[in-house]
Amino acid sequence: MRSPRILEVWRLGTVNYLKFLKIQDKLVSERKAHQIPDTLLSLEHPPTYTLGKRRTDHNLLIPQSQLTKIGAELHYTQRGGDITFHGPHQAILYPIISLRSIGFGARNYVETLERSMIEFASMYGVKARPGNKCETGVWVGDRKIGAIGVRISSGITCHGLAFNIDPDLNYFEHIVPCGIADKEVTSLRRETDALLPSEEVIHKQLITCLAKAFSYDDVLWKEDPSVILDTQR
Amino acid sequence: MALRMWASSTANALKLSTSVSKSHLSPAFSISRCFSTVLEGLKYANSHEWVKHEGSVATIGITAHAQDHLGEVVFVELPEENSTVSKEKSFGAVESVKATSEILSPISGEVIEVNKNLTGSPGLINTSPYEDGWMIKVKPSSPAELESLMGAKEYTKFCEDEDAAH
Repeated sequence: MRSPRILEVWRLGTVNYLKFLKIQDKLVSERKAHQIPDTLLSLEHPPTYTLGKRRTDHNLLIPQSQLTKIGAELHYTQRGGDITFHGPHQAILYPIISLRSIGFGARNYVETLERSMIEFASMYGVKARPGNKCETGVWVGDRKIGAIGVRISSGITCHGLAFNIDPDLNYFEHIVPCGIADKEVTSLRRETDALLPSEEVIHKQLITCLAKAFSYDDVLWKEDPSVILDTQR
Repeated sequence: MALRMWASSTANALKLSTSVSKSHLSPAFSISRCFSTVLEGLKYANSHEWVKHEGSVATIGITAHAQDHLGEVVFVELPEENSTVSKEKSFGAVESVKATSEILSPISGEVIEVNKNLTGSPGLINTSPYEDGWMIKVKPSSPAELESLMGAKEYTKFCEDEDAAH
């Protein structure tokens, strides 16, 4: 009998990007050392643009000096994928999990992240689909509703996915989102007339879809975020 | 799961027994040759890199199994020539499907050559993982490290066990 697969979930509210990177680094080391189980961070960022490992700055359409004027930061990361925007009312999930224990490579992992978002969207009657070749992410028609950018190091994942609940889509005008020109960005708010519950409920639903897609036996909701937010430990 | 399906459809095509139990997989790598090649004469790490040791040079790349699990490679990051690599430590990364995956070195040594073709043609890793998709050439600093790597048969079984894990 295999032992049950548990996912520990931390809901952290709004976290500044640099602070999140510190938290993530610590958790990745701990996961690699088997000190913690598979862990998921659920949070939002203040307005932030991020670039992937390929540093595709040409997809930022305004000068970096203008960013403070629009209330946004820019950060370079080691994840895959192109430029993207994170901001309030966008649900972000960062799974820090072991792929080796489920025999997954990058492709299976990313496809399962896509499936999680598609399943979640269907709860609101939104028919989403995975991206075509080279357009990883989740789409409603030709409009992108969910983005993915991950990093896998010694079989442990970091970074993750971002699903647009109702972010200010104007921020996307200043980039070529994910390096794909001529395609719109959309949100759950835009794609459904359904009454949306509180964001806390929405995040919990998205997390549950992910846990189900990865066949976790149980989800452990961690109640005290200060344990993780205190990176001085 | 996929491995068993392919194996059983291959077995059907070859009119072999369709019950793919471990006792039928001998020699283990003969079925895997049909879809995810494992070559004789190479050594393998459990992080899916291969090493070809010829004299004082070891060539390193990732296996057919690895590239299949990655998806289409769109970007490759390699170390500088004359830099050092260490066993089981990262020496570079590949990007596929919006995922950056670190590549670990199976052995320690000095990088004497990197495959510059991968900059313009990262897909060589998918189409020719053991030949044109080679990544770095290393002068091994501890040749004994090669002994602890897997041979073809062992690596094939390792892949099967890993794929069957979920």
